[in-house]
Amino acid sequence: MEYYSPLMLCVITVAALDICALVLIIAAYREKSSGRKRWDRISSSMELVEQGYTYQLGCDEILIGRHASADIRLSDMSVSRYHAMLTVADGVWTISDLGSKSGVYVNGVRIKKKTLHENDTITIGSRQLVLRKRRNARDE
Amino acid sequence: MSNPFSYIFSCLFVLLAHSTMLFNVYFNGSYTDEHQVFVIAAAVIGLDIVYFFLMLFFRQHTYNVDFMLILILNMSNIFQSCFGAVEFDHRHYITSLAALLASRVGYHVCRNHKWIQKQKVFIWIGIGLLAAVIFAFTGSRSMWITFEKFSIQPSEFMKILLILACATSITEQQNKHTVLGFSIVWENVILFFIAAGICLLQWWCRDLGSIPTFMAIYAAGFLLRICYPKAKFSRKTLFIAAGAVLLAGLVALHFAPDYVRARVFVNIWDDTEGDGFQQSRALIAIAEGGWFGKGPGKGALSGVFAHDSDIVFASVCEEWGLLFALMSVLMILILLSAPLFNPPRSYYHGTMAAGVCAAFTAQMALNIFGSCNLIPFTGVTIPFISTGGSSMAASGFMAGMLIAAQSPEFHKPGKKKTTKSKPGSSTKTAAGRSAKTASKSGTRSKTKKKPASSGRRAAV
Repeated sequence: MEYYSPLMLCVITVAALDICALVLIIAAYREKSSGRKRWDRISSSMELVEQGYTYQLGCDEILIGRHASADIRLSDMSVSRYHAMLTVADGVWTISDLGSKSGVYVNGVRIKKKTLHENDTITIGSRQLVLRKRRNARDE
Repeated sequence: MSNPFSYIFSCLFVLLAHSTMLFNVYFNGSYTDEHQVFVIAAAVIGLDIVYFFLMLFFRQHTYNVDFMLILILNMSNIFQSCFGAVEFDHRHYITSLAALLASRVGYHVCRNHKWIQKQKVFIWIGIGLLAAVIFAFTGSRSMWITFEKFSIQPSEFMKILLILACATSITEQQNKHTVLGFSIVWENVILFFIAAGICLLQWWCRDLGSIPTFMAIYAAGFLLRICYPKAKFSRKTLFIAAGAVLLAGLVALHFAPDYVRARVFVNIWDDTEGDGFQQSRALIAIAEGGWFGKGPGKGALSGVFAHDSDIVFASVCEEWGLLFALMSVLMILILLSAPLFNPPRSYYHGTMAAGVCAAFTAQMALNIFGSCNLIPFTGVTIPFISTGGSSMAASGFMAGMLIAAQSPEFHKPGKKKTTKSKPGSSTKTAAGRSAKTASKSGTRSKTKKKPASSGRRAAV
């Protein structure tokens, strides 16, 4: 009993748990970057480009529309509030028309649902978007 | 393992945390047989090492939830083995193993949203069957189904099914139908009746403590439906919904059985041997424990019914101190914060993670605040800390859901997993290479002119 005190033991136990929590939080934060890398693999590193704007495709369902809650918001009256949905599976992107008034065109052809390829041009209302591989992925 | 340094450091510090707890038990604990301490140490450190080794074979994207899970489960094993006297609690240890196994099952079942969304009808059937089991075998007599040597609480598994029902129907918000001039989504209507039915069933079973948990899960699913683009909810709708919930609560309180109303309005210090028995003992134990506790195995609360489940927070406070008990709660909160570090990439995974977080948070709040007499006392467990096989298995499965949200599978069902894209796609050559050149983009951002918008899923 002379070599330790119960209070000291308790303090050490709490301190060890604190440090462990901190290490696990740092480890979780570091895993964040590998999460992005994996998503790049899933999404084939694609992005949508429109006259100087670049839209990152960061999740597997991306809503394009005029509404404030849309993932890609196109503030244009020719675009419906909920116009089109982009989805990805197995590295392949697909676009679906959500019943918009002006329709969705891929390379000039009106579609309801279509698989997309690199450099396809998507026309939504009066806006034109190009699906392309992200610049740093192309440079590889 | 994508980051070996993170893995090694995480392993070492989890072992350090458990080792210091075991040293505390050895030098500061109350035991008659030293052998018991060595048994606990061997069981805890052994499980740590075996799980760390098994993790090397887990094909996941992130491992932070697994590390948090093993840290909390073995902390719980040490807590449970020390209540009253230091003696290895083999029963809780077995349920911990069941929780770890359930987490693997949960991960594999829930990771592919395209597959599980096709099983939606089976989830609804499962809810119906489980409700029938609860109705037939538990009812208003007991919340438990007792077999020869063990008993299970079926309502714990209902939480999993409700979370899955919320998550699998989230993408159906596009499919609106006009009925009598109202635009409705059938999945939302079905989900509302499922949630209402479960709450009524729990009311009938007198398991009132679990109703807030089910309501929290449904509320998380409901809120994410509001966020979903096609669900055009206005503020007026939100206020009406909040008002309806408040009204339902008041009506429920009015028609509640006498024992419930007595528990809501009881002054525990006027009735320390009756309705206020557990809470008054729990508060005294917390006060006696102070910041650093009496020491493992030296608590007096072990003589009180449900000291290791319903008032486990007070038991931990008494033996390990308020500081350590709060740290344990913080560990569970860090486990729940995993979606903040790595935001889910689909509506399904986001809703599932939100449902799990809502369920765990509600359970912890009910248990801790109930023990401290801040809210009426309920028989709800703290996930992973409280004893109980059904609770541990269900919590383990829900932790598996969190892991699935962190490491989702985006392949179509039935397709072989491959790192390359489909043949014919012009994007195939850079699919693997692009991983090396990931940019710093978030879920969505405009890289020029306009500022980046916050992704919906990051808000989970």
